[in-house]
Amino acid sequence: MINIDPRTKLIQVLILSTLALIYNEISILLIILFTAIIIGFINNVNFISIISRLKKLLKIIFMIALIQSLLTNMGNPLLKIGKLMVFTDYGIIKALEFILRMGIIIVSAAIITTSSSREIIQGLIQWKCPYEIAFMVSVAIRFLPIFKEEMTDMITAIQLRGIDLKKVKFDKKLQVYKYILTPITVNSVMKAKELAAAMEMRGFRAYPKRTSYMVLKMQTFDYILLGLNIGAAILFIILRGVL
Amino acid sequence: MNTIIDINNVSYEYPGGRRVFENLTLELNKEETTFLTGKNGCGKTTLAKLIMGILKPTFGEIKLFGHSTREMSLGSIGERVGYVFQHPERQLFAASVMEELTFPLLFRGYDKDEVINKAEKMLDIFDLQKVKNSYPYFLSYGEKRCLAIASVLMLNPEYLILDEPTASLDIERIGVLSQVLEDLKNKNIGMLIISHNKDFIERHKDRIINLEGGYYD
Repeated sequence: MINIDPRTKLIQVLILSTLALIYNEISILLIILFTAIIIGFINNVNFISIISRLKKLLKIIFMIALIQSLLTNMGNPLLKIGKLMVFTDYGIIKALEFILRMGIIIVSAAIITTSSSREIIQGLIQWKCPYEIAFMVSVAIRFLPIFKEEMTDMITAIQLRGIDLKKVKFDKKLQVYKYILTPITVNSVMKAKELAAAMEMRGFRAYPKRTSYMVLKMQTFDYILLGLNIGAAILFIILRGVL
Repeated sequence: MNTIIDINNVSYEYPGGRRVFENLTLELNKEETTFLTGKNGCGKTTLAKLIMGILKPTFGEIKLFGHSTREMSLGSIGERVGYVFQHPERQLFAASVMEELTFPLLFRGYDKDEVINKAEKMLDIFDLQKVKNSYPYFLSYGEKRCLAIASVLMLNPEYLILDEPTASLDIERIGVLSQVLEDLKNKNIGMLIISHNKDFIERHKDRIINLEGGYYD
């Protein structure tokens, strides 16, 4: 199993997502997505587990793409009901672009998740990113599953107060979510304050310079991979032109 | 005996693979105050969550009022069975104590004056009048627990599950809680209480279930 440095992964992801943003053509986006998937395989991304975990998000992406193509009136009509244009070639192309871009972003995020948050933070620190900022990023990453758990608990708890979410009408549902989100927001602020106090008490920033037990070292394979990625990206931009 | 909760051959395994219960069979009745005791991590809270439908059994079935929890929504369970969490802050939602007590009933279309009167009574019983406009998060832990219990009682549950209700309560508040539980018992409302408080158990127990290694004695 190849162990790739998290900094190499961060640069790969940066290149992929930048290219996905600057190009609009479907053929080019397809090439970028295909490259991202190959890079994902090199980084040992488990695509099957990613797809099963993101089933809901994938459904939302396809729904947005469908709505986007339905609401686009430009281009040649492909399906017309009376005077109403249901699908146009332009709308379909825009929806496909959106799906491909989201695909690239998801694969990029999956590449990052193959490193632990600790490794990514260490990568940032060794890039001379201030420790405080790197630490904030690590706390944010660590808090995400806690937020998810809290949200699930709150949704469960409010239903146990006799509020059946499946039977609640849409306008009242918004009210229910206000009740769920208010304590989560307040709890987060309180938790942040408590965490800050606890950190200070344990001597955070007591010394101006920090040393790390974990030190990352780029291997020859990382340099080869980086060279190939950066070279390919520059070549791609030169050959295709930026726009 | 009027069985409200029927736990039939239930096995439960945590997502990590640790099995807590194996073929657990148990009946809980309307007339009884049952105490669930046992060491930390023996599955007391898990059993309460299984009964409330928060967790689903890996095998077997739990029936509430004759219906399987697999087929009931959390909302329909919550309408009939009150559950006070071990950590009360996880079930407080509103911006004030008064709103916390009233919003679920107002949400369901109950008469506002009636609901407010009922809430006022709860505030008196649990000595929460002085904090009725405060944000629940800023209450003391004991006050939060009392508020969580009061909020659940506002729904007039037919059965009550309390997870460590005396934790962080002072002697005075434990006395108030005891009085409330006795009133509920007189109204024929059954209860399942998870507790480590020996005096409290001694005072209210009809039945004690001691969980150990996924079994009970």
